[in-house]
Amino acid sequence: MKIGFLHSVIRPEEKYLIEEFKKRGAEIIMIDDRNLTFNLDKNNFDLDIVLERCINHSRALHSLRLFEAAGIKCVNSYKVATVCGDKLLTSVALKEHNVPQPEVRIAFTEESALKEIEEMGYPVVLKPAVGSWGRLLSKINDKDAAEAILEHKTVLGSYHHSIFYIQKYVEKNKRDIRAFVIGDECICAIYRTSDHWVTNTARGGVATNCPVTPELNDIAVKAAKAVGGGILAIDIFETPNGLLVNEVNYTMEFRNSIKTTGVNIPEKIVDYVIKASKENGK
Amino acid sequence: MVECPVCGLQLEQNNLIKNELFSCPDCGAELEVIEINPLEVKEAPKEEEDWGE
Repeated sequence: MKIGFLHSVIRPEEKYLIEEFKKRGAEIIMIDDRNLTFNLDKNNFDLDIVLERCINHSRALHSLRLFEAAGIKCVNSYKVATVCGDKLLTSVALKEHNVPQPEVRIAFTEESALKEIEEMGYPVVLKPAVGSWGRLLSKINDKDAAEAILEHKTVLGSYHHSIFYIQKYVEKNKRDIRAFVIGDECICAIYRTSDHWVTNTARGGVATNCPVTPELNDIAVKAAKAVGGGILAIDIFETPNGLLVNEVNYTMEFRNSIKTTGVNIPEKIVDYVIKASKENGK
Repeated sequence: MVECPVCGLQLEQNNLIKNELFSCPDCGAELEVIEINPLEVKEAPKEEEDWGE
């Protein structure tokens, strides 16, 4: 079995996965996206499957499309990367599959965005539709801040910062949940706790084990299926009205979650990739 | 042995693989392994807008 391992820099997650594939005796073909080129007339890859582990969303997205065009099965798929890489598309997919999420509104001008924010009530969170690790998130507590942030995004940002993705702020008592889904199962979850309203571990949030209850498994798997399924990390808020899905990540980071949960996450990812390859007739 | 491109410390690192990130133990610069044998390193790429999960 030839596993194409699509990557750029190798972080702890990639190293864990490579070691796991080696334990199984799988042949890994390392594909550095910085050296990768495609020729649409000669797309002939000697690979059974590609596991995507890029750090750049844009490279991941386009490489997946091109590998799939060449007939190679990819994990995760281009469709999943497309939906998860854009918060607006994720919200639409969650809505279409009746997965509970915080109130979200979209606007394309400063004026219409301000009108929506005023109607929603403060605080709200403005997020770039494409972006990760909690970067460029703005919690807006009043109209003065809303006007300033909207103007700055319009004037200083590239065009996609003028697609205003507005989410109602959810009071989360200093923590949220990151649930790891592989296929049909939520294999484990962590709480991410921080004094800051942004709880991403990339921003200093501390990981502790979160028991996977039937309710958590249900919403996490439902969210994963809504975006197309595969290997996904679902960020979830706890609220008095139940769990709400905040975001879905398609190239999940898990370095802080193996010891914390006691679950061998890379082993389960490799199991899934090998099974997917076999099901694909390879 | 290879020199840290930022602070000049002689780096002796084992068990690294190609393209792996690691920090210089002296200056803390994030470095990327370019070649294993012989060991060659360079400063890791700077974070870009579309980096993430």
